[in-house]
Amino acid sequence: MDPGFWAEAHGAIVHFPIALTFFAALCDTVALPLWSRPVAGQLRTASGIALGCSALGGIGAAVSGLLMTRGDLLGHGALRLHHLFAWPALGLLVAAAAWRVLRWNSGTRGQHVVYLVVLFTLTGLVAAAGRWGGQLGQAYP
Amino acid sequence: MKPPRAFLVSVAAGLGTLGAATGFGLVLQARAHALSHELPPWAGLPLPAGATPETLRISGRKLFLASCAHCHGADALGDEGPDLHGLQVSDRRIATVIRRGIPDEMPSFAKKHSPADIAALIAYLRTLE
Repeated sequence: MDPGFWAEAHGAIVHFPIALTFFAALCDTVALPLWSRPVAGQLRTASGIALGCSALGGIGAAVSGLLMTRGDLLGHGALRLHHLFAWPALGLLVAAAAWRVLRWNSGTRGQHVVYLVVLFTLTGLVAAAGRWGGQLGQAYP
Repeated sequence: MKPPRAFLVSVAAGLGTLGAATGFGLVLQARAHALSHELPPWAGLPLPAGATPETLRISGRKLFLASCAHCHGADALGDEGPDLHGLQVSDRRIATVIRRGIPDEMPSFAKKHSPADIAALIAYLRTLE
């Protein structure tokens, strides 16, 4: 299929994992000071669902991106910078989502703090990948 | 699931996803490489009268030295721009990049080079294995 189609598909898909990852981090952050209240559990549930959907979106973004570039795993210039952040972000995103699915809302507050650090690292990687990805908007006509 | 086991499974899931993406990328690269050699390098582009593969290659080499070598190196092994040996993309893709450039990476050569020039450049690039 025409790489132009996959460029459009990548642009359409990639915003879901970006937005959902940030939403998950926000929910989990707000849940921390409210740990003993019922709303914390609800926030963590919303975060877990968002992160799971984000991981699915991230896989879709990776597949469409690879089809768009005909399998270019690293590239040069801005594409290289995009990939240097995007690939670790994808691995960490899937790992974090798997952790949430396996552990769901169980665990101590201390474990949640460690998980939050991972989630903030993930949002940083996603933001950096998005910053360089945005520069590539017209690079694959 | 207990935390240590959940941690190991999560890490495996992350690494497995990256491994699958790498494998998929390599398959796509191989496919693009195969497709790029289905047609002769000048297919679809207008040629100068009497052009042969050899004259195209010589002409393409001159054009390359004039327009491309200062970024890609005289030997095309890469300098500021990437190595151009063994390109795994189609002729159409190469022609598009030459014409339109890549934002923030490579200028457009649409005004500088005619379609016949681009055909010659592609013919030369295809000799770089």
